[in-house]
Amino acid sequence: MTTTLTPVGAYTEGNQHRPATRTKTSDLKAVPAALKSEWRKVSSVRTYRAILALTAVGGFLLSGAIARFTTDQAMYIAEVGFYWTGAGAIFAAVVGVLMFTSEGQHGTLAVTLTAQPARWVIAASKAAMAAATGAVIGAVAIAAGFAGSAVAGIEMGDTSSVVAMTLWAVLYTGLSAVLGLGTGMVIRHSAAAVTGILVWGPVIEGLLPLVLPVQVARFLPFLAGSRLVGWLDDTPGAEAVALTEPQAALVFGGYALLALTIGTLLLSRREA
Amino acid sequence: MITVSGITKRYGRKTAVEDITFDLTSGRVTGFVGPNGAGKSTTMRAMVGLIRPDGGEVRYHGALYRSLAQPARVVGSVLDARCMHPGRTARNHLRAMAAASRVPSQRVGAVLDEVGLGAAAGQRVGGFSLGMRQRLALAGALLGEPQALLLDEPSNGLDPDGIRWLRNHLRSFADKGGTVLVSSHLIAELSIFADDLVVVGAGKLIAADSMAAITSRHETTVVVETPRPGDLARELAALGLSVEIDGTRLRVQGTTKTLVSQVAYDNGIQVFELSETVRSLEDSLIEMTRASAEYASA
Repeated sequence: MTTTLTPVGAYTEGNQHRPATRTKTSDLKAVPAALKSEWRKVSSVRTYRAILALTAVGGFLLSGAIARFTTDQAMYIAEVGFYWTGAGAIFAAVVGVLMFTSEGQHGTLAVTLTAQPARWVIAASKAAMAAATGAVIGAVAIAAGFAGSAVAGIEMGDTSSVVAMTLWAVLYTGLSAVLGLGTGMVIRHSAAAVTGILVWGPVIEGLLPLVLPVQVARFLPFLAGSRLVGWLDDTPGAEAVALTEPQAALVFGGYALLALTIGTLLLSRREA
Repeated sequence: MITVSGITKRYGRKTAVEDITFDLTSGRVTGFVGPNGAGKSTTMRAMVGLIRPDGGEVRYHGALYRSLAQPARVVGSVLDARCMHPGRTARNHLRAMAAASRVPSQRVGAVLDEVGLGAAAGQRVGGFSLGMRQRLALAGALLGEPQALLLDEPSNGLDPDGIRWLRNHLRSFADKGGTVLVSSHLIAELSIFADDLVVVGAGKLIAADSMAAITSRHETTVVVETPRPGDLARELAALGLSVEIDGTRLRVQGTTKTLVSQVAYDNGIQVFELSETVRSLEDSLIEMTRASAEYASA
């Protein structure tokens, strides 16, 4: 049944303009605005500040404790300062997860999707914000690690590779947040996705090298990623086949990109 | 003009809405009514691209929602007032929305004042009552100064003063040329300020017409008792009126007791009792949707 209601009032069809429609250019121009919106979201809730604070305090205390209480070998700030980065990568992944799942949990995803029909714009802006936030977490983890070990009173050591390692570490935590975001976009449930990250990263990837050949284990996501901060699996033979930093970045970045791509496809196809 | 054409949505074997078609025009408030599970929310979610219909489309001045470059400028929507992060302040909630919609952040303060939440701008949404959330959600819908508003049960949680405020606000929005589609269970409330009604039941369109046209379908019933019911019924039926005979009583639909008494007088028919019942819009709509109600009172 079709019934056209009688138009009355100030508006008439004659004085209404056809609304502007999307083009590739308009979608691209919308990305900075979407990014700004994501920044507003991240900076306006306490969860992310709490994770950043946990990264800082945890890094300070852990590196300080290692520097202070390790007596069987010489410890240097330039090494201990990076020990907390692995945890920072996990925290970054959790932040990435929450950047999407908290929107679903609180229903704000529907608000986001009605504001921006181009779903790839939403995914791209979230990925950029996740990468930036993850990088900040990495930088804070390193700064806290350096501060904690410095306060413990150990020597600086060889600083020739500190800048390079810092850049690799920040890349690691940034990509880790993107991996978390993609995981959150696929799983869509905060508790399930965060638990999955926490169990997979520290636990399962801690056990798999015991049963997998080293040639295979080196390609596990967080094992590959942790190569970016100089960590090496202590399985016999692992050092001989260890990935270089660029290779590790490609492998870990590949996982992050894959998760993000699947998440974006699902975001485009799923209903909110 | 917003054109909803043949919207159909199925979830597995269950058809949520089927061939829903209606138009919304500028300057008018359209009430969207139907029992629980009738398909109101599904239709409204399809209107803003949150669900993908299996059939049909919605066009805003000729454009599909998903093709709009800046939807907030065309249509503001509130589909669930609970859709807010409890840890975010009202101001920050709207700032994030404004940024995503490419609306200047100066609009945030303006819409907060417009909905009466200016003093609560810095408060976290988690501490808001449902009524305050409704106001904040409406503020979000108004951010882009849209031409149309789609509101799903916006009066839920509002106190009587808030309901009056909302009614006046929506009426004013339409009077300035805006288009309003508002779903509500408060039919009596809708009857005060809506111009048109779209009635759905069991996922199907039952009526889409002006309020006056819908109420006139079930206007008045005149009950008359007479010793010559057959004669009077014949005379009334000759005028095109619907008449039911129940013993010595007649029930005449869609007329007035003045007319019935005049017909009786003109034909020399004695009348013992004459009464007139005006049915409310609520009664009419309940009757229209009774067969399709998923959950009905005994």
